[in-house]
Amino acid sequence: MDSGPYFTTSSGLIDSIDKKLLIVLRDGRKLIGTLRSFDQFANLVLQDTIERIYVGNCYGDIPRGIFLIRGENVVLLGEVDEMKEERIGLRQLPVEDILIAQREEIELKQKLEKVRSKALHERGFCIDNSANDLY
Amino acid sequence: MLPLSLLHTAAGHPMLVELKNGETFNGHLVNCDNWMNLTLREVIQTSPDGDRFWRLPECYIRGNTIKYLNVPEEIVDMVKEDENRQRQGNGRGRGRGRENGRSRGSSQQRGGSNRGGRGTSR
Repeated sequence: MDSGPYFTTSSGLIDSIDKKLLIVLRDGRKLIGTLRSFDQFANLVLQDTIERIYVGNCYGDIPRGIFLIRGENVVLLGEVDEMKEERIGLRQLPVEDILIAQREEIELKQKLEKVRSKALHERGFCIDNSANDLY
Repeated sequence: MLPLSLLHTAAGHPMLVELKNGETFNGHLVNCDNWMNLTLREVIQTSPDGDRFWRLPECYIRGNTIKYLNVPEEIVDMVKEDENRQRQGNGRGRGRGRENGRSRGSSQQRGGSNRGGRGTSR
């Protein structure tokens, strides 16, 4: 089991304890927080968590506090590289602005999805909602 | 501390529960079990779109419908206290067992006099 700089160990999350992690949930949410504990289901306890919303070249952070995440809702997680974080090429916006941008993006996606569903339905295909689950 | 024990420690405190369908439940945790099933009291239920609200005096949430829980910051301090209390309790309990075992074993000579009771068997 090699513990190198890029974590190729298979010993579970124990090496990620007390580290700053990025968690991606099945609904597409990105949470960044310090992992305080976990269990056999990969339920996670995060402290000082922020929810980061990305829209285009911008992002916004919402402070959330302590999260207990049910393991089955996690798609992936990984340690945040602080050095790379500094060189991030994205613009940070205040919370209200990023939420407005996010709502516009979602409305646009929904419109396209409606057109797509209609086209598929007309051709005899079934409409499936699993596209919203990143799992 | 394990995630589910943190949840047990948080009993009586307010928290936010978001379900997989996006509904949110804000209320005080009454009880929880190993499957993350919860009972909450004085609950405000919000629809996924955030446009409809319900007030429920109490509700039961099945664990497998939960996406995540958002608990208040003070739970962390309570957790540390709880862990210390547990650690002290275990030490004291084991000591008590050993003393009783020795006296019981020696006075009554029941089933193996060398055993000397629960505490020292390990």
